[in-house]
Amino acid sequence: MKKGKKHQQNTGSQVTGNGTVKKQGEHESKKKQKLVEIHRALNSDPVDIETLRRAAVSEGGLVADEIRRKVWPKLLSVNVYNLPPRPGKDVRESHKDYNQVLLDVRRSMRRFPKGMRAEQREVLQEQLTDIILDVLKRNPQLHYYQGYHDIVVTFLLVVGERMAAAMVDTLSNHHLRDFMDPTMDSTKHILNYLMPILEEVDPELHDFMQRAEVGTIFALSWLITWYGHVLSDFRHVLRLYDFFLASHPLMAIYFAAVIVLYREKEVKSCDCDMASVHHLLSQIPQNLPYEELISTAQELFTRYPPVVLAKKAALQPRESITISSFKDFQMATLQQRPDTVLRQQLRDRASSDLAVPEEVAPAGTSQLVKMAVWGISATLGAAALAVAQTALDWAPEFLLQLF
Amino acid sequence: ASLPDRNMSEMESSLELTTSLPGSSLPPLRSRIFKIIVIGDSGVGKTCLTYRFCAGKFPEKTEATIGVDFREKVVEIDGEKIKIQLWDTAGQERFRKSMVQHYYRNVHAVVFVYDVTNASSFQSLPAWIEECKQHSLGVEVPRILVGNKCDLRDAVRVGTDLAQKFADSHSMPLFETSAKNPNDNDHVEAIFMTVAHKLKSQKPLVLSQPLGTESTVQLQQEHKSAWVCGC
Ligand SMILES: Nc1nc2c(ncn2[C@@H]2O[C@H](COP(=O)(O)OP(=O)(O)OP(=O)(O)O)[C@@H](O)[C@H]2O)c(=O)[nH]1
Ligand SMILES: [Mg+2]
Repeated sequence: MKKGKKHQQNTGSQVTGNGTVKKQGEHESKKKQKLVEIHRALNSDPVDIETLRRAAVSEGGLVADEIRRKVWPKLLSVNVYNLPPRPGKDVRESHKDYNQVLLDVRRSMRRFPKGMRAEQREVLQEQLTDIILDVLKRNPQLHYYQGYHDIVVTFLLVVGERMAAAMVDTLSNHHLRDFMDPTMDSTKHILNYLMPILEEVDPELHDFMQRAEVGTIFALSWLITWYGHVLSDFRHVLRLYDFFLASHPLMAIYFAAVIVLYREKEVKSCDCDMASVHHLLSQIPQNLPYEELISTAQELFTRYPPVVLAKKAALQPRESITISSFKDFQMATLQQRPDTVLRQQLRDRASSDLAVPEEVAPAGTSQLVKMAVWGISATLGAAALAVAQTALDWAPEFLLQLF
Repeated sequence: ASLPDRNMSEMESSLELTTSLPGSSLPPLRSRIFKIIVIGDSGVGKTCLTYRFCAGKFPEKTEATIGVDFREKVVEIDGEKIKIQLWDTAGQERFRKSMVQHYYRNVHAVVFVYDVTNASSFQSLPAWIEECKQHSLGVEVPRILVGNKCDLRDAVRVGTDLAQKFADSHSMPLFETSAKNPNDNDHVEAIFMTVAHKLKSQKPLVLSQPLGTESTVQLQQEHKSAWVCGC
């Protein structure tokens, strides 16, 4: 298993030995089968959301960006054939969070692929600012937090500006909603689930951490950025986004617990004080066995669901919009039509009222952005590109209309 | 439920000292630890300053600090090895209100930072000072004021006179510096070392108890004018 994974990363350019060839063959055929399932699920009417969720969570996640572009919107019930207009720049300066957003976006260089040209990155950074302020303006109940930009940039890099704006809008009103209150009390409440999970699984570790008084702030940036702030390999971020988009909003905190549990030995052998433990845990290892941790997180979620934890740990009851709106959110995902139907609906709308939606963007900047997105695919390696080719066969015009 | 109470942390802090108490025949097991919290508005350069002190250089790229980052450095003062722990906090108001609290507990000193090119970061200082009070940090905990980004000479919006007046009124020494291009390469280091010296000059046990006020005041006088770089 381990070997297979390693080779997936090396994109199999130099295959050595028969065993690996065979393993890789298995891997490829598994992947192909997954693609077929995703394809089928996307074309069912209504869309087979359960299958898509399973694909996103199971080993390897959604495999490639081209597939994410099709599946992510479904996981969030976003109709990509009926997107709100491109975020404008009008009066963005007047927003109360403008300065903070600018400060954070300017310092977000590390979130962009290493080889990207500065001009490309700057265009994307502008778009990042636009999207954030656009969503905030449309949702006065939402408040910007440092780290929100780390989430938005991930969507921007994968799906482009317009689709990112629509997806982030939905995400902000559901999964991220608690983080966007005027204060961070709700966020703190979610962090409070972390220790009870540890207590269930490893009381000794839990006690150690209690004694160290480490608190839970080491996991704050993990939670509110969905790990986008702390992982340097973009592929890992994408893998986790697949997982979280297909899961309960509290899954990110279960994942935090799983990381701590995974590092149990290291934690216990460090000095039992706040600084040492905080320092150790806040430096997230970059080579975590993601697939393994993802399935553990899922198991823990099933075994110790949030309600049970809350009761056992006597967590203060607190109104969480994220959690209380999750049922409705999930219900909505069940009612989606496949893209072929949505596209037809768009054409019908376009021909009935002459107001044709601005589907085609002006060439200049959009060309740059398209290149940027492809640049990222390139950094994902040859294997991903091969799959991307498959995705292109599905609906190239779909891809083109995004930019 | 996950935030433990104050008493525990006080115990921890005195424990630290017992392991390094002088007078025992064995060498101390752990070096003494000075905990210093660094606060101020977002973008004033808290991350750059703490990085400069601990790593000895200006970081090429910083990112927004989310929550609290921790940096440390071991220094030697009068032959004693001392660990200086810097808690680099997030500047955005929402973080300070409910997240950073935990880290105010048993800190030994506070560094307030503003950006000399940004008047509003200076105007926020009273709120930050108030914040400290609310976390029941006694007046005896040493505090210093740091005006950062002095290298941007043409963009200075907060004059030394004004800052000095403010510092005086809160009995804090003022340091104007630059994490990026300090006049003297060790200037940022010197600032943190001043704090460390001040802490060390207090009797060892003092650190786990409310500090005596006399020594603090005296030191503040000493450094008030001496350390203003005027760059
Ligand atoms: N010219 C100049 N720029 C500086 C100096 N110190 C910091 N900066 C720049 O100011 C910006 C903010 O610095 P940070 O250290 O990230 O600010 P911070 O106070 O940690 O901000 P938060 O983490 O958001 O609270 C960065 O772009 C730095 O490069 C300095 O001394 N001179
Ligand atoms: Mg910072």
